[in-house]
Amino acid sequence: MKKYILILSIIIFFGWGCDDNEFLNRKPTTILMPEDVWQDNELAFSVLADLYRRLPEYQTVDFWGDFTTFNMAFASNFGDYWRHQNAEWSYDEWGLWNYGLIREVNLFIKNAEDADENILSEKNRFVAEGRFVRAWLYFELVKRMGGVPLILEPLTYDFSGDPSYLQYSRAKEHEIYDFILDELDAIKEDLPNDVNIKSRATQALTLAMKSRVALYAASIAKYGVTTPTVSLPGGEVGIPAEKADSYYQEALNASEELFKDYPSYSLYDRKEDRSENFSYIFLDKSNNPEVIFVRDYIQSETWDGRSNIWTLHNQPWSVTEDLEGGRLNPSLNLVQMFEKLDNTFEQFKTKTEDGEYIYYDNIQDIFSDRDPRLAGTVILPGSKFKGKEVDIWAGYKLPDGSIITGDDFGQRKVLPDGSTPVQVVGMDGPIDGREWSAQTGFYVRKHMDPKTGSGQRGLKSDVWWVRCRLGEVYLNAAEAAFELKDLKKAADYINEVRKRAGFDIPLNPEEISFDRIVHERTVELAFEGHELWDMKRWRLAHKVWNGEAVDLSDCPWKADQVNTRPFGLWPYKFYDPGNPNHGKWVFEKRMPSIVTAADRFRLGNYYSRISDEIVNNNPKIVKNPNHD
Amino acid sequence: MKMKKHFLFNFTKGILFTLMWMISLCMFAQNITVKGTVRDSKGEPLIGATVRVSGTTTGTVTDIDGNFTLINVPTDATLEITYVGMKTQVISVNGRTTINVVMEEDAVALEEVVAIGYGYMKKESLTGAITSVCSDDIEKVSASTVSSTLAGKLAGVSFRQAEGRPGAGANISIRNMGSPLYIIDGIQKDEGQFNNLSPTDIESITVLKDASAAIYGVRAANGVVVVTTKSGRRNTKPSIKVNARFGFQNWTRFPETCNVYEWMLGKADAEMNRVNPHTDITPEELEKWREGKEYGYQSFDWYDFIIKPNAPMNQINISSSGGSDRINYYLSYTHLYESSVLGREFIFKRDNVQANVDGQITDNLRVGMKMNGRIETRDNPGVPGGDDYWAPRFALFRNRPTERPYANDNPKYINDIGHNDTNWALLTKDLSGYWTETWRVLQTNFDAEYALPIEGLKIKGNYSYYIADRLMDGHEYTYKAYKYFPETDEYKVTFTMDNPWRERGTHKVLEDVFQVQINYNKVFGNHTVDALLLNERIHRRDLDTWVHAVPNTNVLPLIYFADMDTYNDSDVEQARIGYIGKFNYNYSNKYYIELAGRYDGSWKFIKDKRWGFFPSVSGGWRITEEEFAKNLLGDFDLDLKLRASYGELGDDAVGIGDFDYLRGYNYNSSTVIMDGKMIIGARDRGEPITNISWYTSKITDIGADFSLLDTKLSGSIDYFYRKREGLRGRKYDVLVPSELGYALPDENVNSDAVTGGELLLSYNGKANDFIYSVGGNISYARQKFLESYKPRWGNSWDHYRNSRENRWDGTFWGYEVIGQFQSYEQINNYPVNIDGQGNKTLLPGDLIYKDVNQDGAINGYDVRPIGYPAGRNPILNYGINASAQYKDFDISMDFSGGSMYSYNQNWEMRWPYQNTGNLLRQFYDDRWHRVDPFDVNSEWIPGKYPPLRFNEGGHSNYNKNSTFWLTNVRYLRLKTIELGYTLPKELSSRIGIQTARFYINGFNLFSFDNVRELGIEPEIMDENGLQYPQHKRMNIGVNVSF
Repeated sequence: MKKYILILSIIIFFGWGCDDNEFLNRKPTTILMPEDVWQDNELAFSVLADLYRRLPEYQTVDFWGDFTTFNMAFASNFGDYWRHQNAEWSYDEWGLWNYGLIREVNLFIKNAEDADENILSEKNRFVAEGRFVRAWLYFELVKRMGGVPLILEPLTYDFSGDPSYLQYSRAKEHEIYDFILDELDAIKEDLPNDVNIKSRATQALTLAMKSRVALYAASIAKYGVTTPTVSLPGGEVGIPAEKADSYYQEALNASEELFKDYPSYSLYDRKEDRSENFSYIFLDKSNNPEVIFVRDYIQSETWDGRSNIWTLHNQPWSVTEDLEGGRLNPSLNLVQMFEKLDNTFEQFKTKTEDGEYIYYDNIQDIFSDRDPRLAGTVILPGSKFKGKEVDIWAGYKLPDGSIITGDDFGQRKVLPDGSTPVQVVGMDGPIDGREWSAQTGFYVRKHMDPKTGSGQRGLKSDVWWVRCRLGEVYLNAAEAAFELKDLKKAADYINEVRKRAGFDIPLNPEEISFDRIVHERTVELAFEGHELWDMKRWRLAHKVWNGEAVDLSDCPWKADQVNTRPFGLWPYKFYDPGNPNHGKWVFEKRMPSIVTAADRFRLGNYYSRISDEIVNNNPKIVKNPNHD
Repeated sequence: MKMKKHFLFNFTKGILFTLMWMISLCMFAQNITVKGTVRDSKGEPLIGATVRVSGTTTGTVTDIDGNFTLINVPTDATLEITYVGMKTQVISVNGRTTINVVMEEDAVALEEVVAIGYGYMKKESLTGAITSVCSDDIEKVSASTVSSTLAGKLAGVSFRQAEGRPGAGANISIRNMGSPLYIIDGIQKDEGQFNNLSPTDIESITVLKDASAAIYGVRAANGVVVVTTKSGRRNTKPSIKVNARFGFQNWTRFPETCNVYEWMLGKADAEMNRVNPHTDITPEELEKWREGKEYGYQSFDWYDFIIKPNAPMNQINISSSGGSDRINYYLSYTHLYESSVLGREFIFKRDNVQANVDGQITDNLRVGMKMNGRIETRDNPGVPGGDDYWAPRFALFRNRPTERPYANDNPKYINDIGHNDTNWALLTKDLSGYWTETWRVLQTNFDAEYALPIEGLKIKGNYSYYIADRLMDGHEYTYKAYKYFPETDEYKVTFTMDNPWRERGTHKVLEDVFQVQINYNKVFGNHTVDALLLNERIHRRDLDTWVHAVPNTNVLPLIYFADMDTYNDSDVEQARIGYIGKFNYNYSNKYYIELAGRYDGSWKFIKDKRWGFFPSVSGGWRITEEEFAKNLLGDFDLDLKLRASYGELGDDAVGIGDFDYLRGYNYNSSTVIMDGKMIIGARDRGEPITNISWYTSKITDIGADFSLLDTKLSGSIDYFYRKREGLRGRKYDVLVPSELGYALPDENVNSDAVTGGELLLSYNGKANDFIYSVGGNISYARQKFLESYKPRWGNSWDHYRNSRENRWDGTFWGYEVIGQFQSYEQINNYPVNIDGQGNKTLLPGDLIYKDVNQDGAINGYDVRPIGYPAGRNPILNYGINASAQYKDFDISMDFSGGSMYSYNQNWEMRWPYQNTGNLLRQFYDDRWHRVDPFDVNSEWIPGKYPPLRFNEGGHSNYNKNSTFWLTNVRYLRLKTIELGYTLPKELSSRIGIQTARFYINGFNLFSFDNVRELGIEPEIMDENGLQYPQHKRMNIGVNVSF
């Protein structure tokens, strides 16, 4: 009996005997304590890497859909047809107010500054990189919102009931630009100069970014005059016109400093074939001399952004490595902007003056003698991807003008006078309304990874997203020089880019015009995420996207050509056995029937809406213009 | 020698005999041997009935023929005969040597014993809203999970089984309060463990709906489901029982699609209905499709190809139970196999063992063990995409009737249809790979109870150890798809899938529960006192790893490091402590009162917010036991108990993360590639949340239990109101600038309520050989948000549309359809811009939305509340149960039903040709269309549905939730029907069997509801209508006991 009492006593002792709080205190397995982080370069870098990872972007390889917003491409995907069916952009579009991230960056800078250099040996570089990230964030903010509160310390609310000490006013738009430019100057010496560092801030990157930032500020100062209502009396939106020249000068100076003092950077020029060379700027990751700043990827199944899904989503359907592809279809609007090798512009010729079809022997003939960058940017009918020829053609055209085609990829039907069914439409379409077919007649090439496996869901691509490259800096320099009336310099810099592209005839200084500057950026930097910001800073956006359902522009060289709906170019096989033209190719311009709206950029879209919530939370915030 | 031995033997024998004789003379001078037979009211012998001499330990059990023999019974003794489910008989021997006993069924509903918090209680003394269901009712339901067996059986438990795939469970909720806490044999468990017990091993399921759940503390806010597994009984003969059944199952319903001619005609219709009408389809082509003879013009029925009717299911249970006067045991093994209509390769199977043993070590010490273990397997082909059951169902709509599974119909070549992951021909284990998930679970509870020398005082310890292990392996193979080229009679590979997917997931749950308790139970005359003190500690750890690889071969199963690209690892702990006290007092079985409280701590909160106290009080009054009531009632036989309860319960699931009170960095917040190297990112956790703790749920219940007509009619009625306070919300008194960079932390400020009631009635009757019972229950429970902390509204519309203050939860908002356009003229003259494009996209038959605010346009300001919540359990639930027995035949039926919930049609159920795939049959059959589809000027034929569009989800008909697509669902379905026949005893005993019963059993055979026309299940939730519906089943089975 005593034995059992003893056993029970032991049980009770253990039950009540241990400390409850001890029992309830459990150690997390995924949380680093602050004291661990700031004594260890590797862990501090983990925090920094996560900040780099979250740099906001609009239009990147992570999401093809944003590249269809401005009619440079058509969205060939069921869930995205709405992109061509809404006439207006909301004022909230492109808005950003990411002070949570800015606070994290401020905390990072403060913690790094407070760290002991003897323990955290990379302290100075971390501080400089933190400030770089912050400058980048403010650039993203000022591009979208205009002047914003400039907060450079991690703020904390003291629960006193009076938060007014936390209420900051919006800075003037130019103050933000000035802040960014000053920061870039200040941190440069603490950053490494190494052409092989692409994912982190370098000295060259501060200059490349200065060239871009100063150019934006300059053009807003200059062209803001044309849209006087896009401004606020306090200067939160709009930059005084008189500041234009000094900003242009600063852009030019920064660019030239990069060209002269950093000779390890140069335009990419490694492949014989000019089109291939152009596409390899984005593919070649070994000692690439042109690329300055990237977001890098590896091949991986995991869908958390470590791998690049661009190739998976946009690969031509006929050569797809998975059940995905074909989403982004570059528009004829973009394709026809690529000029001819003799520096002249021309629309594609599909019919003679008296309305007869022009018969082409080869499907690619219509694209010959164009800027090699066209084939480097766009997969044209008859061209190859991953060594296989794509199959883009819309059907058979009969002499009476009627068409035999199918609504399934590579569908087979019996032709008139035939007996066995034959293929009547390309394995890539185009089939109107059919997702993932080339509904404009084109697929995209830029950023497309030619490696086997890059189009598989289980691997995807490791092609990096180029945020900043020397080619752009040359065009920045050319633009700044042009605006500063130094046409010779402008011609020199633009010709650098064109020469590399494959143009043998340089442009003369007198040929440099605003149209030329705009055009060169459009074709060189297509699908690199520049068009929205460029059109905004030039105050062209409301003219180019004016909401009018007009036909395809017949002046592809003009900066302010209207571009409100995406068009396509469909190849047909002519079918008339016995006719000498039988089997030749004819082309038709056509707009995908999905497109039902013409885009209209309103003046209120120049600066995105600051939400009511933000204004309620801080009464010192003034709203952006044209939003009521 | 021989002589001597003989003498010695005789001598010893003589002494013994003399001794015995002397003893019997002095002590059992008048003892006799009593024989007899125990039978039930039908005259069937009862096996294993206990016959005991009152006041002694002398006793026996009846044999296979119901016979018993007791020796040495004093002539003036009293015999007590007990048998499960029968009234205990007390018979005086009065010198008789043969006593035949007829046992009566114990129909006194109020006298059952019910499992409650940390113990049992007689039903008559319950003071809380508690309902229970016992093994017989559960076993009859042909379902693979325990939750699925509960439909319509428990008043106050809402039920919705949206998903019916093998092994799927149902959403059950107590009074629509949310996910309940499960207690299995005294231990807090999760839903998965509850669902996968073998239903045959369950003795009872009790649901604590009100303050009676408070004793379970910080996780009991949504009520508690208490499960007790079966035990053997002391002093019963060992028995072996076999219950086996075998059946076939089919889908109850699934939406239907069109054949190729209808599809093509509809497409022509749709294309001519565009703003710019044009179709490439010609009448000649259409005619070819209609004939369906020419190559390339044949229709293909994917439903017939994919869905294989009469999928087998079987279940066998073997159990043994019994007990001596010191030990009792229950041992059981159950095997369950369920396949699906998606061919025989999609299966669920489960093996359960249950072993419950109890031993009386000494008179004061009892020890016991309850163990259950299972192996639970889900096994199917490795199908691309997340859920392997999705592609085949999606295929029924995604695949066009023009598409065919095999190139040139040659089964050697998988046809490349462009979306090959829905080509069913591929989705076999052979071609597509495999996916297998196995859970191996072992739950062991050890308990010891020691009766202290003080009478009525017991001390008890309980230790439970639980381990669950999940092993998941999946491999999706690479494959090739072909196209046939008739001109050369060739099959060419036009698609290769080079993206193999190999994954392995392992998960382990390790859980320890430790309980120590002191019980005191004593009767002092009319006063009965029952007290409990208990300490409970729960520790749980979840370990999980998931690995992904891209192997180079389809044939070998091992994963190699070189092929691996993902390794996810996690390790999460939980810890809770509770101190529990409970006190019951009962005066004269007339007045009852219970006080209980629990002091609970949870690891989830910061130290000073960690502990909470959850008290409850309840009382009952058996008013009919009062003299005045007895006088008033006279001969009228009514037993009525009034009861009321109030309690505070808690929940630590307020919506914050486990360590939100800590400052620091989340490691592995991202994987960042920096110059080709993978860097594990770390992210600042932001300002810690230190001011939040559990929320409190206050529940009031007023009810009554009654029985009348000699307890033939019994029932209960309840009203309840639960108010939750301290729900997570934000204080908006102080607006901090958004530029601060973080929002002020949430606090325990919001409140909501659930209110409703239940009614339960049952009637047991008997007419000669015909014994029957019928019962029904109905319950109503609806949730309402009460208030948030000083809410702010941007404007009056914001207030109207987004406020939840004092409103029912989950109300469905949408547009009101006030009709359909009848003519172009009506459209042209219609003053309201319906489609946002000046009505240019509209045709006769299109939906007319009500312009509520009369601004001439249909936009977000025109939405109004249009229905009950959609993705939730019904607000109103009801069930009917009936059973009857006539001689050797028995029949039982269960109906369950629900209403006051919405189904919202969307996707495939709303837009014709969603994804350009197939078309819902109803959209074709009953559509507005022109007499001549190719002539835009031809006359319109009206129908129920708008004219077809081809995959135009953005059209105004389809891009809005509206009354047109919303159904307030009502249903009543026959859940179970069982018809049984028991072999007469004479027959079965001849083959050595105690009882043998054969039955046929049907499950989900039919349903009365208002969604039949759509072809969907009434309980479905998925808006696209493609959820795996419930099965209907037919089983044959046998119960045998030896």
